[in-house]
Amino acid sequence: MDIKQMPAIDKDTLKSENLVLNMGPHHPATHGVMRLLLELDGETVVKCTPYVGYLHRGVEKLAEDMTYLRALPLTDRLDYISSMTHNQGYCYAVETLLGVEVPVRAKFIRTMVCEMSRIASHLLWIATHALDIGAMTVFLYAFKEREFILEQFEALCGARLTVTYPRIGGVRNDVSQEFIDSVYDFTNYFPSKVDEYERLIDRNRIWFKRTRGIGVITAEEAVNYGLTGAALRGSGVNYDIRKLFPYDAYDSVDFDVPIGTHGDVYDRYRCRMEELRQSNRIIRQCIERLPKGAIMTKDAPKVTLPSKKKVLTSMESMIHHFMVITKGPINCPKGEVYVATEAPKGELGFYFISDGEGKPYRMRVRAPSFVHIAALPKLCEGGLVADVISNIGSIDIVLGECDR
Amino acid sequence: MKKHLISHEPKVVSLPDEKFSFKNLLKDIFLTEIISGLGLTLSSLFKKPVTKQYPHEKKEAKQGFRGLHALARRPDTGLAKCVGCGLCAAICPSKCITIYTYEDVNHDKIVDRYELDILRCVFCSFCVEACPYGAIVMTRHYEYASYSKEALFMTKEKLLKNWDDYMSDEDALVYFKKYWGPREEDFVGHEGQAVFRNNK
Amino acid sequence: MINETLYNLIITIIKIIVVLSVAMLHVAFAVYFERKTIGHMQRRLGPMEVGPHGILQSFADVIKLFFKEDLVPASADKPLFYIAPVIGIAATMVSLSVVPFFNGFAIANIKVGLLFLFAMSSLGAYAVILAGWASNSKYSFLGGMRSSAQVISYEVSMGLSLVGVMIMAESLNLNDIVAAQQNFPTRLYIIPQFIGFVVFVLSAMAETNRVPFDLPEAEQELVAGYFTEYSGMRFALFFLAEYIGMLVMSSVAVVCFLGGWGLPGFIYSIFSGSSIFISILEVICFLFKLYMCMFFYYWVRSTLPRYRYDQLMSLGWKILIPVSVFNILITGTIKMLVQ
Repeated sequence: MDIKQMPAIDKDTLKSENLVLNMGPHHPATHGVMRLLLELDGETVVKCTPYVGYLHRGVEKLAEDMTYLRALPLTDRLDYISSMTHNQGYCYAVETLLGVEVPVRAKFIRTMVCEMSRIASHLLWIATHALDIGAMTVFLYAFKEREFILEQFEALCGARLTVTYPRIGGVRNDVSQEFIDSVYDFTNYFPSKVDEYERLIDRNRIWFKRTRGIGVITAEEAVNYGLTGAALRGSGVNYDIRKLFPYDAYDSVDFDVPIGTHGDVYDRYRCRMEELRQSNRIIRQCIERLPKGAIMTKDAPKVTLPSKKKVLTSMESMIHHFMVITKGPINCPKGEVYVATEAPKGELGFYFISDGEGKPYRMRVRAPSFVHIAALPKLCEGGLVADVISNIGSIDIVLGECDR
Repeated sequence: MKKHLISHEPKVVSLPDEKFSFKNLLKDIFLTEIISGLGLTLSSLFKKPVTKQYPHEKKEAKQGFRGLHALARRPDTGLAKCVGCGLCAAICPSKCITIYTYEDVNHDKIVDRYELDILRCVFCSFCVEACPYGAIVMTRHYEYASYSKEALFMTKEKLLKNWDDYMSDEDALVYFKKYWGPREEDFVGHEGQAVFRNNK
Repeated sequence: MINETLYNLIITIIKIIVVLSVAMLHVAFAVYFERKTIGHMQRRLGPMEVGPHGILQSFADVIKLFFKEDLVPASADKPLFYIAPVIGIAATMVSLSVVPFFNGFAIANIKVGLLFLFAMSSLGAYAVILAGWASNSKYSFLGGMRSSAQVISYEVSMGLSLVGVMIMAESLNLNDIVAAQQNFPTRLYIIPQFIGFVVFVLSAMAETNRVPFDLPEAEQELVAGYFTEYSGMRFALFFLAEYIGMLVMSSVAVVCFLGGWGLPGFIYSIFSGSSIFISILEVICFLFKLYMCMFFYYWVRSTLPRYRYDQLMSLGWKILIPVSVFNILITGTIKMLVQ
């Protein structure tokens, strides 16, 4: 074709299409099986659409067919990074529903292990967040301390990740003296380890450039999007369920709630780093103030499993044992309950409707990750592809909890 | 909202906006924070690695570890302690235990088959807690990965063999004493409970 | 006459074979060295299984890659897809030919050695762009785009950063540059040319796609960047090209700033009798400096996060290029005044 015959290009009608990039469900930085559909103009994200549900296992529906006790291991698998807090949230909700009061020692133990779990979760978060932004070494430094916590969990209850340790009405078994001693030792040196992670990234100019002013969300917007946890506190909202609606032993320990002011990735990062230190403080106080006493309530024989000795000696206990296991708690009250706890990722809510049987008529989990993913388009649009990665890291999601 | 609940003061952790100063400029030019980070990684180069060379260097699971299941034997007859009450199957969240029983000529309940699908098990140890007789236990053995489904489908014989293989006498003693609960003292507390002792 | 040409040809071929095989072996151990260094910096052990302390790990990897299936995406532009890694490896290997490893040893002792190096490293960018485009994958495409922009920008600052050296040595020949350093009072150009050195090191990191400038292959963003779709030996060729590129860049740093093979003066006076011994010492000296540079690469990799694409560009254009131009200005002025 002769060049003179070619139609002239009209610059006004010349269109360029956006590039649609499918990030995930198998992508190294989506922290699981999340899929983001990114519309790119060059490297700028024009539109970001999250797709969830790749890890759906029907936990809420499964729980409807199980007694309250039997459904407890399902909550381990919601947020497998910190299953302790999810067990606790679940148990606390069921205890509220059934009106069970937990002994003081069990409360302290629960608070302590939950904070350990929070540390483990935040360590995994800083590890992967730093890795996403390219600082590889933080990953392995953080895993060293996380490994210690997981080992303590193993010694405590025989499992490292899916612990199933808190029980309705108490905890599974008592803590040993070695556990207490080694965890207290750990709290002595842990803050210096946090300083070590920070030494690599905290004031680093590249880290600044990758996190400051990225993914900004104002306090008002954050509340509107339903963000909770460090993602909300990074925007400057002073909201921590442990302080506002204390549960377990949180009202008898002293800790600060870190908040940011800018609402960017960096402030969310700073909040979580400070939470590591505050959790450390809580653990120390829990250990120092740990009282002697029961670890399972004896006031609720129709809810908790009776002791092994009684099962074979007392007729009543044996009947309770069989009833609680097969039919669930005896004489359940009817009604609804929503109980929120502060999981490492944010506000973890359990909502139950009870129709008086030993199993929930409906269980609903308010998973922070699910809500946080909904805010991703707000955080990512207008930024670059690399910022998507920082944003995913900064809202700290785990897909097991999101998809349930 | 109750007043006392919102009275706590938050701790602001975000960095203040940096003002220009000669010191900051020097810090910027000489990459102080990057050099400090480089120093940390360099000093780590000479520290002892924490890696365990797993297949060569095995880590023993802690006491009370929730590993491979086993069926306990009665010390007197050497048969399984299990009486086939079915509580373990009833509490199992993943429904991986199946028990088949029948009535023999003496009207005794005989456990015909006890099947446990390891591939479905979530290792919550509820079966152990539910069992009134301590008939099913979890051992410290954790290296049982296999290429075949059959090897991970536990029958009564295999479970009894696990007891012989992995539950030595002391292990079983500690296991039942400490981890087979709830125990009587869990409901009241006792003298020897672990509390903080100030070592320093 | 013909005999002499033939003789020269044979000698050159032998030299090429020696340099290539040494470079290949070097890559195997550079990878091992990197994995060990970064491993220990992260309190890990690194490879331990193949051979004593995993020293043969790289060979096991090569064998594995060799036997892997060679996958070509159905919608790829096949000729370009095939040729891209070859261009990459050829460009970096050819640049080895002008590097003087010890006094008087270079396969091609050409007068514009430094210019030739630049030309070849630009050609390497061609491979990256082609690979990204030919794979017909969006991740590869983005990686290729990033890389082309990055390499082109940093080519400029790298070239400018070496102009100071060229002015001081009054030559583009690498042998001459080293020789000029021998006669220079500090014996190393790093001392007067420190700014140039810093700019060069940063640009070289960007040029070879290393952390903190490894955007074209940023794992967490683009999976593996331009070679996402490559597997087996084709992937290995890219890998090889990257490591030989690192070797070349480190050699340039050693030659232009760290005195090349040059030993401290007193050693020459002590061993003035045996020239072979001096040559051996020179090779060792060169390799030591080279490995120090490589170590620095690994060290930085294990410490720093990664820049964002636009930040990388602004660093290159707004900071490195002005700084290197300033350096040229100062060097030129001083040179003029001294003369």
